[in-house]
Amino acid sequence: MPVVLLSCYPAGPDYVEDLDVTYTTFDNKFDFQTRSTYAMPDRIVVDVEIDDGDTTYIYMKDVFADPILAAIDDNLQSLGWEKVDISDQPDMLVTPAGIKSTTYFYSYWYDWWYGGWYGGYWGWYYPPYYTVSSYTTGSMIVTMSDPNVDDDSPIGESQTAWVMAANGLFTGNYDLGRVTKAIDEAFDQSPYLKLN
Amino acid sequence: MKKLLSIFAISIVTYGALHAQSNFTMTYSMGFASGDLADFISQPSFRGATIEFRKMVNPNIGVGMTFGWNTFYEEISRESYTAGSSTLTGKQFRYSNNFPILLAGDYYLSPGEKFNPFVGLGIGTIYTRRNTDMNLYTVEQEAWNFALQPEVGFLYSLTDGAAIIVAGRFNQGFKAGNELDSAQSYFTLNVGFSFANN
Repeated sequence: MPVVLLSCYPAGPDYVEDLDVTYTTFDNKFDFQTRSTYAMPDRIVVDVEIDDGDTTYIYMKDVFADPILAAIDDNLQSLGWEKVDISDQPDMLVTPAGIKSTTYFYSYWYDWWYGGWYGGYWGWYYPPYYTVSSYTTGSMIVTMSDPNVDDDSPIGESQTAWVMAANGLFTGNYDLGRVTKAIDEAFDQSPYLKLN
Repeated sequence: MKKLLSIFAISIVTYGALHAQSNFTMTYSMGFASGDLADFISQPSFRGATIEFRKMVNPNIGVGMTFGWNTFYEEISRESYTAGSSTLTGKQFRYSNNFPILLAGDYYLSPGEKFNPFVGLGIGTIYTRRNTDMNLYTVEQEAWNFALQPEVGFLYSLTDGAAIIVAGRFNQGFKAGNELDSAQSYFTLNVGFSFANN
């Protein structure tokens, strides 16, 4: 009888899409309404290899990255945000990343990208409750942070104001529609990003 | 509670020694959630079973134990859940496994007749394990609820030792101070076979 009962046990998810979740969180003390411009890299990093002190960035292929970056731009601009060049002192930095492994590469790539381009050193950190280790391989992560408030921090780095994470989207059949749908969902469930 | 269980246990042993006749029953159990469980899973359960033993104290009264298992399941379509400043959107897969473990007594209205209705009461506990799955993660909550299980039903005799049993039961697990704090309750319709051992 136990065999019969176990064979009747509900199966749960049927498709990999059934496991897709979109998570967003924000710093509720952060005033998005006093900001209006953002800058974003034109490439998405998926991994960082450090060999003998040489750092190599692994980028997502443009054929995948371009629609993702376009989806982020479309959503932000429809919420009233204006995209500017990194040299125009944006109010916010937007950082998309695809997590190939659990390596924490944010501090390598984005510090280099923004810092190297603009000539200054900008950094930011996750508030304690955003734990990178909880993102599974294949996750899409986008953060927004204000690089101009790093002086308010005892460690000289700005706290991330908004994070979206979509788990496991780069696994399975690489359906970009799942990624852009998650990005749309992330902005839909973040009405506080809409500028008046 | 402990005293009550002791009394029941002693009763079973004593009466069992005095009266040899006993019943062994297996049923298929369909569950219909109510209260907090229905808020969590509205779908009926068609996955369940019970095993029961009864010692006949006299032709009208049987005492023994009931073990049950009912699995409730529902797939919740993609929705957003917000807690504080965090929002999570996704499909939820909800499970509730309920295991009643009860000392039970039945009163048979027409012993020896082909159609033998009965009423009964079970007392004991329901172990509940509730899982809410999203993505690869699950939130698991457990409870051991003090439980009562009133029932009505009938036996329909097929042969001298075998009968069909049909019973309706209400499983009431009272509020427990466990992870899953609220009361857990559901109806079951049980259909199966009962075998008498004379």
